[in-house]
Amino acid sequence: MTDETEMARDDAVLAAEYVVGLLEGEDLLIARGRAANDEAFRQLVAEWEDRLAPLLDEVAPAIPDERIWANIEAQIGALREAQASAQAGEGEAPSNVIDLTARLRRWQWTAGITSAAAAIAIAYLAFSPAQQPGAIPGNSVEAPGPIAAADPLVAQVPIGETGLRLDVTYIPESDRMLVAAIGLAPDGVHDHELWLVPGDGSELRSLGVVAPGEVRAMTLSEETTRYMADGAQLLLTREPLGGKPADKDAGPVVAEGAFKQV
Amino acid sequence: MEDAPIPAETQAREALRAAMARLATGDAAALEEVYKATRVKLFGICLRILKDRKEAEDALQDVFVNLWQRADRYDPERASPISWLATFARNRAIDRLRTGKVRGGAVPVEEAAPLPDSNPLPDQIMIDGEQKARVHTCLKKLDDNARKNIRAAFFDGKTYGQLAESADVPLGTMKSWIRRGMIKLRACLEVGE
Repeated sequence: MTDETEMARDDAVLAAEYVVGLLEGEDLLIARGRAANDEAFRQLVAEWEDRLAPLLDEVAPAIPDERIWANIEAQIGALREAQASAQAGEGEAPSNVIDLTARLRRWQWTAGITSAAAAIAIAYLAFSPAQQPGAIPGNSVEAPGPIAAADPLVAQVPIGETGLRLDVTYIPESDRMLVAAIGLAPDGVHDHELWLVPGDGSELRSLGVVAPGEVRAMTLSEETTRYMADGAQLLLTREPLGGKPADKDAGPVVAEGAFKQV
Repeated sequence: MEDAPIPAETQAREALRAAMARLATGDAAALEEVYKATRVKLFGICLRILKDRKEAEDALQDVFVNLWQRADRYDPERASPISWLATFARNRAIDRLRTGKVRGGAVPVEEAAPLPDSNPLPDQIMIDGEQKARVHTCLKKLDDNARKNIRAAFFDGKTYGQLAESADVPLGTMKSWIRRGMIKLRACLEVGE
């Protein structure tokens, strides 16, 4: 079947390498992207996970400290509160992802999308261009009726040929932005920094270092929010760990995108 | 696939499956049930990979908070709940290891978390109680080089680069050993599927 001397790597082997955890850097990035976007590959990953999982029975069990459950409960309590208050629309909600995603969720409902998936998944999937670039799943574009005043600005920043991208969402008239870097993996030597290109030709504004694999909410300065508009350009540069050093020029641009009002 | 080896075991599994289903509907009490049933196993997995008690505790918290937020990701059609949860915990722990959140110079796991024999641990739900999954036998059939390194990657979160370094062989050699092993492993597993 496979020529053993050549060691060509077919998808099943790549999926195995990914599941076992052997990959790093670019390879890991690519495998994650495919696991997120490629159904056939996802299937291979699932197969390997199921095949290898019985090995985990070999691991010595260990009892976690009592307080761990209390911590989990506290965290979940805080999440639920944030969600409840955001949904009730009470005044200034706390600045966290749940708050923003809850607002996104309300927007989704307003726009006629009836997905009950978790907040982050909604934020992620609703803006996913994976198969049909430009199309918004759920036909929200044609959704009748008024859309909330705060229609989000959304930018997708595709990264090379990897099939990966950043999803950046900004709720106008707020200082909150959500950056979803799901599927991205750190390579251990670089960070990626996101930049806003001001429409007036002034200097680039840093929107911070991207957290690979995470959905992060961030608070923007008032000055920066003034430049957040439909059509505003975003750039992603490759930098040393920690982001662009103050005394150095920004690194190479690895990806770009622009905000679009949804 | 599940032949109900021990009734108590089967019961525990079914209870877990039911709790996972309730969790997907947003039932907070179900989360505690899942936690109680799986914490010993999942913490063991986090500890094995992260080799640091504090990190493993954070990882375990992270696993359950994530589970709460995205409980609908579990597909009861696909995997047994304990198999899925164990894989989920391992993946989260490995992500943590990769993100470099783990402090350097971690002490060996034996030191960090003594497991006194005199104090038996509560029962853990087994993924494969009777050790009948082919992966056990198939893995044993591999060459030493492939087997040892695949295990080190799987259980200790080692990457190709790290394995090559500790075996003091070129990266390409390590990749060939392991890929060859993977191909054999797959062939062996497929015989049993």
